[in-house]
Amino acid sequence: MSLHDVDGDKPIYIQIADWLENAIIDGTLNADEKVYSQYQLAELFTINPATAGKGLTILLEEELVYKKRGLGMFVSPDAQKRLRTKRKEQTLRKLVQDLLLEADLLGINKNELDKMIEKEREYREGEPT
Amino acid sequence: MTVISLNQVQKKYSRIPVLTNVTFSIKENVITGVAGRNGAGKTTLLKIIAGFMKATEGDVQVFDENPFGSLLVSANSIYIDDAMSYPNPMKLQELLHEFKRFYANWNEELAMRLMEYFAIPFDIRYQFLSKGKRSTFNAIVGIAARCSLTIFDEPTTGMDTAARNDFYRALLKDYIVNPRTILLSSHYIDEIQDIIEDLLVIHRKQVRYHGTVSDLQEAHLSLRGTKEHLTEGTLGKTIVSKTRRGLQEEWILENDFSDAERTKLSRLGIANTTLSLNDAYLALTEQPRGGIDDVFDTQKD
Repeated sequence: MSLHDVDGDKPIYIQIADWLENAIIDGTLNADEKVYSQYQLAELFTINPATAGKGLTILLEEELVYKKRGLGMFVSPDAQKRLRTKRKEQTLRKLVQDLLLEADLLGINKNELDKMIEKEREYREGEPT
Repeated sequence: MTVISLNQVQKKYSRIPVLTNVTFSIKENVITGVAGRNGAGKTTLLKIIAGFMKATEGDVQVFDENPFGSLLVSANSIYIDDAMSYPNPMKLQELLHEFKRFYANWNEELAMRLMEYFAIPFDIRYQFLSKGKRSTFNAIVGIAARCSLTIFDEPTTGMDTAARNDFYRALLKDYIVNPRTILLSSHYIDEIQDIIEDLLVIHRKQVRYHGTVSDLQEAHLSLRGTKEHLTEGTLGKTIVSKTRRGLQEEWILENDFSDAERTKLSRLGIANTTLSLNDAYLALTEQPRGGIDDVFDTQKD
């Protein structure tokens, strides 16, 4: 498995943290489920175990995972909910800011932009899943 | 525990200095990448650490001993490069069998399995191997020796891409189970960046950087935009390099930008991203991308 295909220029430990966060958001890792150890992550992605550990530390510091002595790390019960909020307030907000920036640059007004978003939504909903 | 420590080390070949004021230390069981431009002094440094050469001045300690002439160091370390020499009449199989007399932790079975995987014939002499297979054989020896201090000086020279990837993965897998102190030099930062923890950059005979890979990456920021906007957005900041990118420019700066300052950059329409490790390394060793253009730029005054 390779990380670099996704976002090559981010430091690897941040990519690891992102990957774990995504796994929690999409339910691959459920509440109170055991998280990969730094050695498992190292092996999985062919990265240095210390780097993998640094990625895990980010989640630990944000209390998205908790430690059980001698057993490893587990997903905090409210991790998914908190991550969704965090993503909304940070990632999604940034995307909206970028969207508005580009719209301003192209001289697209609010009405036109709303229509574009609505059109994309209809297109998505019409797509067979 | 510190395994390697150098203090104010100098090395001269006749009277020409090749290393000056080299001071750093490396902790036990860390994988450190060693990078630097051609002729920067990497190999000399690695050979001093391995005890193959004596420093002209300064203090070198490996396992708390001067490595030059130290039995302790030579019994617990291995140095692999592309100029390995083995007793001529011996076949590879015999070599692999004899290594256990030199290296206490030698794992012959692992060596044999790697030989089979990399399709290296056992009943042949080293000198009859191709360049790539020689490097692969040396790499196998380096991994299977499981020495407390393992030094690889450009181990992948001549290997094809698949062999390189397999070698790094084999090294990492064996390291996870049997941690040891590893020094790994390469001209290709991209291929070692994932498996190393620290990077040691030798530049112009000195240590230019020693620290974690992520700290180096986060020390710089790449900005893209028009010259006017860049000038406005980077007032009072330290610019490392400037490169033309079509109608825009890319500037690399020291990263002391606050979140507010980064938001300001975005508002000016300046794209700001973290550098790849390779670009951060290039910025450090003053090889601004596009710098070769200057050679052909005869209009320049």
